[in-house]
Amino acid sequence: MSASDIIWTLLSLFFIGLGYFAAFAFAAGMLWRLIGYLRTPMPLPHALTPAPKTEGGAVLRVLGDVTLFPNLFKADKWLWAGAWVFHAALAAVLFRHLRYFTYPVPGLVLYMEPVALFFGLLFGAAILFLFWRRLGLPRTLYISNLPDYFALALLGLIAGTGLMVSYWLHANLVDVKGFILGLMTFHPVEVPRHPLFLLHLFFVLILMLYFPFSKLLHAGGVFFSPSRHQPYQVQLRGKRYVNPLER
Amino acid sequence: MPVIELEGIQMDVDEDGFIQDPATWNEALAVAIAKTEDVEELTEDHWKVVSYLREYYQQFGIAPMIRKLCKETGYDLKTIYELFPSGPAKGACKIAGLPKPTGCV
Amino acid sequence: MPKFDETPIIKDPAVNGVLRAPGLREHASTDVRCHPSKPKDTAAIDLPAELVPDWKERALAKFGELLEQNQALRVYMDICVRCGACTDKCQFFLGTGDPQNFPVARAELLRRVYRRYFTPAGLFPDLGAASDLDEDLLRKWYTYFYQCSECRRCSVFCPYGIDTAEITIAAREIMASIGVSTKYVTEVVAKVYQTGNNLGIPPAAWKDNCEFLEEEVLEETGLPIRFPVDEAGADILLVPPSADNFANTDTMIGYGKLFHYLGLSWTTSTYCNEGGNFGLFLNFANLQKVNRRIIDAARMLGVKTIIWGECGHAWRAGILTPTLSGPMDMFDPPYPYHISQFIVDMLRKGAFDGRLDKSANDDYLVTYHDPCNSARAGQLIEEPRQIIRAVCNRFVEMPPNTIREKTFCCGAGNGLLTDEIMPIRMAGGKPRAMAVKHTKANYLATVCAICKAQLPESMHYWDVPVKVGGVIDLLANALKL
Repeated sequence: MSASDIIWTLLSLFFIGLGYFAAFAFAAGMLWRLIGYLRTPMPLPHALTPAPKTEGGAVLRVLGDVTLFPNLFKADKWLWAGAWVFHAALAAVLFRHLRYFTYPVPGLVLYMEPVALFFGLLFGAAILFLFWRRLGLPRTLYISNLPDYFALALLGLIAGTGLMVSYWLHANLVDVKGFILGLMTFHPVEVPRHPLFLLHLFFVLILMLYFPFSKLLHAGGVFFSPSRHQPYQVQLRGKRYVNPLER
Repeated sequence: MPVIELEGIQMDVDEDGFIQDPATWNEALAVAIAKTEDVEELTEDHWKVVSYLREYYQQFGIAPMIRKLCKETGYDLKTIYELFPSGPAKGACKIAGLPKPTGCV
Repeated sequence: MPKFDETPIIKDPAVNGVLRAPGLREHASTDVRCHPSKPKDTAAIDLPAELVPDWKERALAKFGELLEQNQALRVYMDICVRCGACTDKCQFFLGTGDPQNFPVARAELLRRVYRRYFTPAGLFPDLGAASDLDEDLLRKWYTYFYQCSECRRCSVFCPYGIDTAEITIAAREIMASIGVSTKYVTEVVAKVYQTGNNLGIPPAAWKDNCEFLEEEVLEETGLPIRFPVDEAGADILLVPPSADNFANTDTMIGYGKLFHYLGLSWTTSTYCNEGGNFGLFLNFANLQKVNRRIIDAARMLGVKTIIWGECGHAWRAGILTPTLSGPMDMFDPPYPYHISQFIVDMLRKGAFDGRLDKSANDDYLVTYHDPCNSARAGQLIEEPRQIIRAVCNRFVEMPPNTIREKTFCCGAGNGLLTDEIMPIRMAGGKPRAMAVKHTKANYLATVCAICKAQLPESMHYWDVPVKVGGVIDLLANALKL
């Protein structure tokens, strides 16, 4: 066994260990946090005007919040554009990553091939815009703290390394997919011998570890915001809001 | 606790200069408080308002409605503001030794 | 009075009233604080009189308890991404320029402590934007959580609906539990238990006020219009803000004329002649205790229904009544019922057909100020406008980004209507004043006693010549009795 083999073996062990740990921490952390939100009672009705009158309307309102960011649109058109492009591009990029996780790969993922680079670049551009906005406006500069910069920087590094391994210093797709599927089927194999890919993977795993314990949790928390998910029914007969703490 | 000093006698007042115990009020004190409210001299008109406030307060334990104050003294609100620049609730009540009306007013 | 930035914040007023955020003026309002509470008041409402010795432990224990018991607080502590959407939305920032009045900066005062003691970020305070709870921070809490009027404007613009009001309410609850509260709020709550109302009007004075108004209206109209007090068996219990029977007498007279015209039997109660509920600005226990007085008064008098008068936060607390004080099934629906909703229902039924003379209000160019609480917490947006349109010929709206659910607080709501913080009140009143100026209206109608007390002062300060009054005052003008 050569020295380089030993290094790659150690690296493989490290990434396999970190991979399982990050996946577990992400899944368990998200479950723990979101179940915590779900189980926390809301003592008083709290719907924000103009509120839907029915449960169905409240579900639609939350779905609208999640997909279209209507409040941001009312607040600041540039921010809305930046944030929406960021999230839409992120969703597209994540969807495209299914090709590393599935066999056979769904048709739609394959059809994305011609536009994949576009979404990747859009994602990177949106991150740069959001970073610029944080630093460039006195108001956002005042409120931004270290975790805000950290999250953006981490996402930027992931986007940068990701774009590079896809379109410049290509990683071998078969190696990458073999490694990922190996992890998923609990038959781990050696990591692809591609430092830049490993850097990309490392940043992603750090993000997964960080996610449930940071502001990035807004991704799940948005479903639990009482001012948005409650219908306004206080004047409807038979719809008395009972304080869960007094039940 | 802030105090107001009058001819050597010290009187407890609250942060806004209202005397703490309305029972300790007297006319000389009213003159002293008036100076803090941009009322240099208490004229007959002033005394009419002040006495009505005192009378009403002693009977009911609160300041009268502004509408009633105007009606009973014969001064409209504008005149009362001329007499007491900071208004019936802040200026006139303070000089008359009433507690400050608070709530949604 | 310390002056803040006096430049107008509405640009192109003739076009659409776009708001312009002021430059940042750090610490501009940091020294404007409410008077602390007095022992006689805190004793009456079960609160510590002064900062308790083990305040830090007790504050954190209370905070932990609230995090377990309030989904909104728990979620809102975590999910803010500091996007900045709210930073130019709060009237207290727009008026003072103090960045600590950004809704997000205000909330961060609590979040820093949350992160320090309730999350892993507390292990690395400097990296995780976490702070120890110390006296310095407590002072900031006291200053800035009493420069928030819990008006919820920011939450309308937050992508997650983060409600800074809920955060301020939690912070005030924590502070109250360790002996930190304001004189204004505690004094008012104490007076409710003593006299039944916020102003401290004793029963004999309340009756005297009502009799006086009967004489006044008799003189004016020649009609025996009544202002009944404690009449058992009346159909309707009216819970107005007590200020209506003290300062806003035109509104009180409006209720009397309305019920007289409709031929309804109604009454007020000297046990509970107050719709307002300052418990909302202090802590949950007092919110609930004050609210229960309404139901108790209604039961004692045996009324069929309860109608809430023209008071913004009374309605915010009013819609909580079935939750706070138990089912209202013994009353006629709908419940809770607001006077504006009642009038609109009567309009729909044709009760006023042919009996409203709109020209009686022709001297007025009317605009309508949505009280933050009735509009954003109580869904009361259309009703007052429907009434105004039915009784006035000349009605004009303020710019769309300053009305309805985007309305500005008058600048003194939810515990801020106290004179020692007049600079904050005037600064916070600036966006509203600018918007009114833009309409050139000479009558500013609203359905809230706090607004009716604050607006005349802020309009005067910002040099906007306008009369402030109730919506029902306009109805009473137009009503052919």
